Amino acid sequence: MDFDRREMLIGGGGLALMAAGSTGANARSAASDAVTGAGTEPMWFGGSEPSIPRAGLRWCFSVAVLFAQRTMVQSPTPRGFTWAAGGPIWGPRLQGRVLPYSGADYYRNGFYTHYMLEAADGALIHIHNRGTSRRFKAPFTPGMPLEPAQRDEPAGWTRFRVSPVFEAPSGPHEWMNQTLIVGSATIFREPIDHTEFHYFEVL
Amino acid sequence: MRDFKIPDLGEMKRQDVVLDYAFQLKARYDPPNAYRSAKGGRFYQAIIGGTVRSPRLNADVYADSGGAFDTLQVGNGVRNINAHFMLKAENGDYIYVEHVGYHRPDGYYRVIAYIDAPTDGPYDWLNGTTFVVTATESSDLRDVVFSYYVAN
Repeated sequence: MDFDRREMLIGGGGLALMAAGSTGANARSAASDAVTGAGTEPMWFGGSEPSIPRAGLRWCFSVAVLFAQRTMVQSPTPRGFTWAAGGPIWGPRLQGRVLPYSGADYYRNGFYTHYMLEAADGALIHIHNRGTSRRFKAPFTPGMPLEPAQRDEPAGWTRFRVSPVFEAPSGPHEWMNQTLIVGSATIFREPIDHTEFHYFEVL
Repeated sequence: MRDFKIPDLGEMKRQDVVLDYAFQLKARYDPPNAYRSAKGGRFYQAIIGGTVRSPRLNADVYADSGGAFDTLQVGNGVRNINAHFMLKAENGDYIYVEHVGYHRPDGYYRVIAYIDAPTDGPYDWLNGTTFVVTATESSDLRDVVFSYYVAN
């Protein structure tokens, strides 16, 4: 059975389907995540009091993945298969491409991918990615509570976040074996159906 | 291997992750155990207590509900964090917590937390959420403070 991958991306609990095309949230022109450009300065975030350790993020690279074929295995817990067909990698700490057809999103109860990255120097890096997705009435505004969208209402913002685990060879990419990374993921239908992942080192 | 020509994807704008502080989990562990294994090494440490006191979550660590089942990287002292345990909230709800991340000899201890909570209760907001967590620990490794931030 083929179906729209957007319906597979829902992880976490209490989630309604991300109604495909129901809002502009998936269109590039209406991307509602915070956008601050391509700087590589660390971004720091603090707690409710100064004694709470701050957390920092710094952009390390981005990957655009073109997925292909959407198949579902109707096993007791349905299992999806969607190829990672290819795509570019760019950014300050890694450049290259997704090794073509090297793996897939083997979705089960959420996003669950295994595929290979090929760095510009030829190194192969395994990526295993998990993620969470949840629909809200409106985009996050610091200091304001997030309100989940109801099942039957369009989402003003879909928060799709990923936490990849990499296995890189010794050498210039080995930092990826011991650095926590979190990412944003955004699905685009235009001009070509793909998903963009922007990865940040947790400092 | 099949070939793939990357098409023109148009302008790609970076979508940032914004962290929103959520709460601190103060955990108490038994002394750690580590041993060599065929795959490198295993680090085990039982969680025996702990608390979360915050406007957004009030809970205790459910004692002896799990702990760290980390693996050790070869030759560099890095621990791959793989922790599982339960919280019991003030209203009686059980909440599952999973930590995945890295503990390095230079003091870097960071994890992603995934949490499963009942969808019909006040802690449903924890579901479908990726947490970025900064951890600090005592010199005997038995007291760890986890500062949780929501990855928005």
